[in-house]
Amino acid sequence: MSLVLALTAGALFAAGTYLLLQRLLTRIVVGLGLIAHGANLLLLGAAGRPGAAPIITEGGAAYSDPLPQALVLTAIVITFGVTAFLLALAWRSWALTRSDAVEDDLEDRRIARLGRSGG
Amino acid sequence: MKTLVTLPLVVPLAAAALSLLMRRFLVAQRVLGITAATASLGIALALVVRVDGTGPAVAALGGWHPPLGIALVADRFAALMLVVAAAALLGVLVYAVGQGRVDTAMPGFHPVYQVLAAGVALGLLTGDLFTLFVAFEVMLIASYVLITARAGAAHVRATLTYVVVGLTASALFLATVALIYAAAGTVNLADLAGRLDGVSPTIRAALGWLLFMVFGIKAAIFPLFFWLPDSYPTAPSPVTAIFAGLLTKVGVYAMIRTQTLLFPSDEPSQVMLALAGLTMVVGVLGAIAQSDIRRILSFHIVSQIGYMVMGLGFFTVAGLAAAIVFLVHQIVVKTVLFLVGGLVEDTAGTGNLAKVGGVLHRHPLVALLYLPAALSLAGLPPFSGFVGKLALVQAGFAASQAPVVAVSLAASILTLFSMAKIWAGAFWGQPTGEDCRRPGAVGLAATGALVVASLAIAVVAQPLLGLATRAGADLLAADVYRAVVLGG
Amino acid sequence: MAIFPSTHATLGAPATAGRRALHLRAGRAVTLGLLLAAPFATAMVLLAVPGRARKTAAALALLPLVGFTAWAVASAGPLLSGGEITLALPWIPDLGVALDLRLDALGLLLALVATGIGSLVVVYSAAYLPAGIHLPRFMAYLVAFAGGMVGVAAADNLFGLFVFWEITTVASYLLIGFSDDKGSARAAALQAVLTTSAGGLAMLAGCVLLSRQAGTATLSAILAAPPSGAATTAALALILLGAFTKSAQVPFHGWLPAAMAAPTPASAYLHSATMVKAGVFLLARLHPGFGSDPIWAPVITTVGLATMVLGAWRALRQTDLKLLLAFGTVSQLGFMTALLGLGLVHAALAVLVGHALYKSALFLVVGTIDRTAGTRDLRVLSGLGRRLPGLLAVAAVAAASKAGLPPLLGWAAKEAAFAEILTVAAWPVVILTVAASALTAAYALRFVWGAFATKAMAPDARPLGAGVLPPAPGLWAPAALLAAASVVLGIAPGWVDRLVQAAAGVPGKLVLWPGWQPALAASGAAVALGAIIHLGRTRAAHLQAAGERLFRSLRFPTADGTYRRSLEGLNRLADATTGTLQHGSLPVYLGVILLATLGLPAAWWLAGGAGMPAPPLAHRPAEVALGLLAAAAAFGAARARHRLTAALFLGAAGYAVGGIFVLYGAPDLALTQLLVETLTVAMFAFVVARLPRRHEEARLPWWRALRVGVALAVGAVVTWAALAVGGGGGGEASAAYLEKAVPEAGGRNVVNVILTDFRALDTLGEITVLVVAAMGVAGLIAGARVASGREEDPR
Repeated sequence: MSLVLALTAGALFAAGTYLLLQRLLTRIVVGLGLIAHGANLLLLGAAGRPGAAPIITEGGAAYSDPLPQALVLTAIVITFGVTAFLLALAWRSWALTRSDAVEDDLEDRRIARLGRSGG
Repeated sequence: MKTLVTLPLVVPLAAAALSLLMRRFLVAQRVLGITAATASLGIALALVVRVDGTGPAVAALGGWHPPLGIALVADRFAALMLVVAAAALLGVLVYAVGQGRVDTAMPGFHPVYQVLAAGVALGLLTGDLFTLFVAFEVMLIASYVLITARAGAAHVRATLTYVVVGLTASALFLATVALIYAAAGTVNLADLAGRLDGVSPTIRAALGWLLFMVFGIKAAIFPLFFWLPDSYPTAPSPVTAIFAGLLTKVGVYAMIRTQTLLFPSDEPSQVMLALAGLTMVVGVLGAIAQSDIRRILSFHIVSQIGYMVMGLGFFTVAGLAAAIVFLVHQIVVKTVLFLVGGLVEDTAGTGNLAKVGGVLHRHPLVALLYLPAALSLAGLPPFSGFVGKLALVQAGFAASQAPVVAVSLAASILTLFSMAKIWAGAFWGQPTGEDCRRPGAVGLAATGALVVASLAIAVVAQPLLGLATRAGADLLAADVYRAVVLGG
Repeated sequence: MAIFPSTHATLGAPATAGRRALHLRAGRAVTLGLLLAAPFATAMVLLAVPGRARKTAAALALLPLVGFTAWAVASAGPLLSGGEITLALPWIPDLGVALDLRLDALGLLLALVATGIGSLVVVYSAAYLPAGIHLPRFMAYLVAFAGGMVGVAAADNLFGLFVFWEITTVASYLLIGFSDDKGSARAAALQAVLTTSAGGLAMLAGCVLLSRQAGTATLSAILAAPPSGAATTAALALILLGAFTKSAQVPFHGWLPAAMAAPTPASAYLHSATMVKAGVFLLARLHPGFGSDPIWAPVITTVGLATMVLGAWRALRQTDLKLLLAFGTVSQLGFMTALLGLGLVHAALAVLVGHALYKSALFLVVGTIDRTAGTRDLRVLSGLGRRLPGLLAVAAVAAASKAGLPPLLGWAAKEAAFAEILTVAAWPVVILTVAASALTAAYALRFVWGAFATKAMAPDARPLGAGVLPPAPGLWAPAALLAAASVVLGIAPGWVDRLVQAAAGVPGKLVLWPGWQPALAASGAAVALGAIIHLGRTRAAHLQAAGERLFRSLRFPTADGTYRRSLEGLNRLADATTGTLQHGSLPVYLGVILLATLGLPAAWWLAGGAGMPAPPLAHRPAEVALGLLAAAAAFGAARARHRLTAALFLGAAGYAVGGIFVLYGAPDLALTQLLVETLTVAMFAFVVARLPRRHEEARLPWWRALRVGVALAVGAVVTWAALAVGGGGGGEASAAYLEKAVPEAGGRNVVNVILTDFRALDTLGEITVLVVAAMGVAGLIAGARVASGREEDPR
């Protein structure tokens, strides 16, 4: 995998992670999108040295490895479907709670208080 | 034989498609769903008998021989899991139909439920790492839709946790597939098993741990499980029951499959055993801290996953066999407990132990269903959990891993404590709260059937353990798997 | 301490009967199996019997118990002369687990006690339990328990024994908590089940270890050729933990007095006559094989003596008659344990039988007092003896047996025990035994006095009115029968002696009059001392109170206190652990997941030297520019303060990635990427249109720094891993796709061919995901409309 590709994937993961570690759902969605891009790049990079597009021509010489491309394509479409679902969920969350932040679990916080006061 | 291997996938998918077409006819959907689930159980039973008799069966889809095409591989482990999964899916579906709430409130319930079943079957059967990713996505999207189905303002947060963690895990899984492909140049599991031999041991081990942890998120091991107890309890009770019974276990299955096939080890893995011990203890302590039946049970899902990881961590035939028996037992018993929890909530209007009480006096049948399942979870004889626990303990001593065995025994007394807490809180005492409604006969019958199944696991423990031992031996004989898939 | 004597000498009956098994007719074995199954089947039936069918329930419950008793008496002959009834019931041979039965004299002894006394308790319960109580359920638990006891008595497999052992634990739990509207009963049930099953788990581990050492889990085979060595000793120690918790030995005895929350018939049956004897029984069972183990004599004798003295001491202080008896039981269990530690199996079993008879009788008497007088507090009871002389007579006989007075069975047993102790034990043991016996005599007297005597009452005490009516026959006849048995078997102890000798497999002498011997002096001294203590009871009480104050001031841990503190500690630990780890915050969960998932492999790789091949900078020149663009867009998305801006940056990053796809010879991919990216941004814009424009987090600098740190770590590990795995490139399959696409699959676009033909299953999965996602989106949007419509007009 080339250095540039690895660094780009790393940058996408880093920025995605930064966004993921927040409460606002829209930020989380963007973060997940960036991470998905990073993962797709990794998969593409796994093909090794790139060649010509794997469309067989008569005098064709060195083609790119076609398998990772097929896998990336599947992954892109799946990610799209799931992202659409998450966006709809965000919309619903907003409609129900008028907040797009993912708040802490109430029961967990209650027990955490118990743990502190009892201990 | 080839058809038999594809049927567990084809039947639910076809049922899902048909069900989608009939979405205006609830009764037809119900009949179709239960028929398909019953058929799946029959197919799985036929498959396990065939596979145990004549060895692993491979179906190369589209006639493309692996690694070119995708192969569905039914070995003993996969076939056995298919049977138990089908039984749980059937039991829960009957319960849901009997309860008649979730599928009336959610028009797409039946198709999505069948898709979930198809995803589980694909995950169990696939002989391809990327298809495993796809199978997880199929399972997950179905589970996202099911868990969010009725989420009101109080629960939407919890479902967000579930979906976001699921998406994160998927991205990490995909990145892992990419790294493994970069290292070994294939996604076919059998092919990988051979090609990873050419990878440097350090890289191979690192990839092994990465894959282990990725499945660890799905399986909810320590320290990756925190999402589970927050999200599972919020779904309608049949949905929670099937999640609890199946989804984490498919993660464990994938863990066992890939670790034994791709990253085999000759000796117990101390890291795995440590994680297993922590999962058991932290999980059960979490359960003790809770006061709601569903939340208690959700933490027990986590705790019990530790036992299976422990069985894997021994890396012996006996350990794997014990883990498999434990998996089988857990799928049934965990499903039963959540269904009983649902029955309690139906009758008392709440699962909060401070508010519910005396169910034994009002509905002794519900108590009678709870007791064997709870004792089984705590590993008391003569129930199925005892068989699984004893097999694990013996495997642990045989592998000279007494410390983690001691931890597992300590965790099981804490499990008993927690089960007794539910019994004393919900079933004993003065009946409190208004008596909302009588538990439905169909729901009771479905739960009862699964209780009988869990008792049957104990009765047929010897043949089951024999099958599990053969399955465990298959798992450790990775060469055989390779030869069957690639050379057959 | 005396080494235990060589008790393997044989008597008329063969000591090691197991090896010389006189196999009885097969028909008997099958009968035994059926009789063992009967209680469990009956329990199932009883659970279905409605609560008001009390007579039916009692009759049903009586059937398997009386049946077994009758059969056992009829079959006793051959068993007493060394025969055995064996039945192989395999269960899980691969784990060494079987429910094999092997009923010998020792098993017969316990089984007879369990079913014989059980029958009487069933009769008593039907009269005792008030109408509001669900009698069939009570009977179901009771009968299942009896089945468990018979199983323990007859099991010939370590794990089979454990199975029945735990059945008795669960039945005991259900019975202790039977009056489940009382919090105290529920708590006592929990204490009992936690204590005994903790011991049970130790025992299970011990059984696994022992069966590994012996190469078999068959009890008779293990005892015939017992293994030895450190591992065996460890296994034995673990099994002893199980026996000690079950038989309420110090320091695990706390659950037994608490278990008095059970209905009195259950206490009489489980917590004095039978279940608590299971531990003692197990010691007797194991003694032939492991009596010479280095820890046997010192550990068991010490624990037993401590329990005996402590129980007797505490019994003397009780004012609740039932608690008095409970501590007396603790003491007597200690006595039996100590005898077994000394290797005096015969004496221990004789005491066991004697105790079972008199103690259950006394419990039943307490129940009757409680029922007729409405209390069992000896400070309140007065003059009951005059009103209920019959009951007084029963109690007096049973208590005399307990105190060890002739001509009762308790006397014969104690004489035998004293005689054997004097021959083998060192003087401290003798002194402790005599002291405890004196206390036993004293609290036996205290019991009769407290329950029946006419006392000067405290002025505010509630005097018993004339309302005390003679109890129904069911309330006194069973106790009377038990007391009568103590008399008959005391006068003519021959039958019990045969049973005990055969069970112990060693000689011993159980007789009404042993003749003038040193033991007589010891027991005479004990009784006399006991009488003196009772007469000087006021002073003794002061003395005891002072002693206990001393103990308290030393902060000596008590069993109850230890249990309570452990439970509280456990709950605190659970709250603290869970409160810390189960944080409830999604960002925390995700951070932990990312760090752990990537951290563990990274650590492995670092430990392995962290080598990596030298990577090429870029495969295509334009890659650098596009990579930079993608990274910059990602950075922009992370920094963006407006939602839409962030989405546009995400789109930009996606386009840049699409550009790289083109460079890498993947035009299809690039096309899909552009399409999907555009759609995603459009959807995002659609959703965001309803939300506030800005999306900023509350800024806590350290939390932000932490986020940046985690993000950089994740990015670094991903980059590193991508470089470490090497050059990449497909295997044979990739080459084969290129080769076969045209000739075999008939397509030139290889990626398309893979998706639609070679790997069509993935595409099927992908379509499934899309369809379900679409359904989910539709459902959420419809649901959200409904929900928001509902929420928007709350007033």
